[in-house]
Amino acid sequence: MKIGFSGLNAWLLQRITALYMLVFVVVCLVHFTVDPPHSYQAWRGWMMDSTISITTSAFFAALLSHAWVGLRDVILDYIPSVALRVGLLVMLASALVAAAAVVVHIFWIQAA
Amino acid sequence: MRFSIFRYNPERDEKPYMQDFDVDLKPTHVMLLDVILHIKDFQDDSLTIRRSCREGVCGSDGMSINGRNGLACVTNVRKLKEPVELRPLPNFPVIRDLVVDMTRFWKHYHSIKPYLVNDEPPPPKERLQSPAERDKLDGSYECIMCGCCTSQCPSSWWNPDKFLGPAALIQAYRFISDSRDRATPQRLDDLNSDPYRLFRCRTITNCTEVCPRGLSPSRAIESIRLRMLNVDGHQGGLALHRVPTIR
Repeated sequence: MKIGFSGLNAWLLQRITALYMLVFVVVCLVHFTVDPPHSYQAWRGWMMDSTISITTSAFFAALLSHAWVGLRDVILDYIPSVALRVGLLVMLASALVAAAAVVVHIFWIQAA
Repeated sequence: MRFSIFRYNPERDEKPYMQDFDVDLKPTHVMLLDVILHIKDFQDDSLTIRRSCREGVCGSDGMSINGRNGLACVTNVRKLKEPVELRPLPNFPVIRDLVVDMTRFWKHYHSIKPYLVNDEPPPPKERLQSPAERDKLDGSYECIMCGCCTSQCPSSWWNPDKFLGPAALIQAYRFISDSRDRATPQRLDDLNSDPYRLFRCRTITNCTEVCPRGLSPSRAIESIRLRMLNVDGHQGGLALHRVPTIR
């Protein structure tokens, strides 16, 4: 039973998501240094702007994909038992999907 | 000089043990292999090792020397810290003393098809290759399959049966880089056929660190990954690096 991507796709996804996250974090740091929000309302307004919402959601998608590839690699490396490996991968996938659901809820359901 | 050598004869010993030998170094004892053969000749002829060329080209006498893999025949004995600890290559089944079972190592090597695949009609003499095309084999053809790299690779330790290891992968790179070979897409697909064959490599670079020929299997593996993305990362061959002195 195969859960996840082929070797090359996973390796490439890890690097592309790392690059996106790096750029996003740098942009956010620069923004918060140059033009920091002065109240909760100002910060919320900035976060709920459609462009920021989309790019931040993409950041979390990148983060969760990156975490999936990284932790899957750890499990593939160190867990020789097939049953235990499959079980752990299913638990990992479930946890990441739950985290994704929380992000969607915050940015797109609760905010609406 | 004191030498502490791993001993294990499965026909006689319940478990392995370390045996100490003291040797008065003579001027003829230049390399570690000279001393091991002296011990075998004058102190304990049951000590079992593999050796052949005695000049670092056959790869027979790979072993762990003070915790670091290397070839006994090109390791300067006087530079070694005492007591010199000699153990068989890590993570290979031990046949006896310093001799290990390399069956799995060779099986991985054979699985990458280490021969030219070219079904075009053979030319009258040889399949020609320009000097620039021949240069692309530099840094990979020199591998002597000693096993030092694969044996020192943590990813090989965790998945020895499924991960090919640096030696097989640098040989895979050698054939992928060969302009006379026509099976590059199949070779790349085979290495990408599951997440284990190549992609357990985490670029730890233990392999490059211990290679007694100064090769860089980690660079070769990086180049294979780039080739899978249709990027030719190294226009020429791979550079050789200085071989670190084992102490």
